[in-house]
Amino acid sequence: MDDTLKDFREQCERNLRRSVTERMRYGFNYVYKPVLDDAEWRSFDSLAEYREWCRANLPTYLGYGELTELQRKVLDEA
Amino acid sequence: MKRESFSPLQAQQIAEAFAKHQVDYMFIGKGGAILLGYPGTTQDVDVFPRKDRENGRRIVAALADLGYVIDTTLEADIIRGKDFVQIKNGPFDVDLVFAPDGIESYDEAKTRVDMTSGFPVANIRDIIESKRAAKRPRDAVELPLLQAFRETYEEQNQS
Repeated sequence: MDDTLKDFREQCERNLRRSVTERMRYGFNYVYKPVLDDAEWRSFDSLAEYREWCRANLPTYLGYGELTELQRKVLDEA
Repeated sequence: MKRESFSPLQAQQIAEAFAKHQVDYMFIGKGGAILLGYPGTTQDVDVFPRKDRENGRRIVAALADLGYVIDTTLEADIIRGKDFVQIKNGPFDVDLVFAPDGIESYDEAKTRVDMTSGFPVANIRDIIESKRAAKRPRDAVELPLLQAFRETYEEQNQS
């Protein structure tokens, strides 16, 4: 077992013992996201088009931008 | 716009409204994983609905019941099943993902749907594959944690 994830796995076990209502109460919360939250609605013909919109319009720190090499490696290996 | 109020029980509200209008759907994304027990947080509900016009009309009726303002353009986009529709003008944010990355067909995903939470949730492996295929920096942070959760989740559900 990967020791770096030991605490997280224990957290998973604790959360799995919670009721679904508790999971929702702890899991769904609101944090305002600039630009992304500043529209009533939006729609796209494809997710590729949506991702392109995200890359062009959202602040980088929201995490919708281009992958770095390290991030690409993590995604491929996970 | 910033929200004045927020309900964490949004999945339940969606499920009730969708059941009333017989919408064919499953929860997907991080919200779906949270319903299965993933210890993360999110603000929106991602829904993977079957893409057909009748199902789209049912979604429109269900969202209107919940208080969303569905203008004629939005209504047309939902009924048409535009691949991605993001709605923020109701009690909480909802993303309608008619064609999620990494999942070949709705019918196949439906055979793997997970009902252990009492809600129709995409299989955790499908959730992971859709995140991997989306190739977003935010998912590079999340994916190793989702995999660790999947291992714990599957271990517990097998015993």
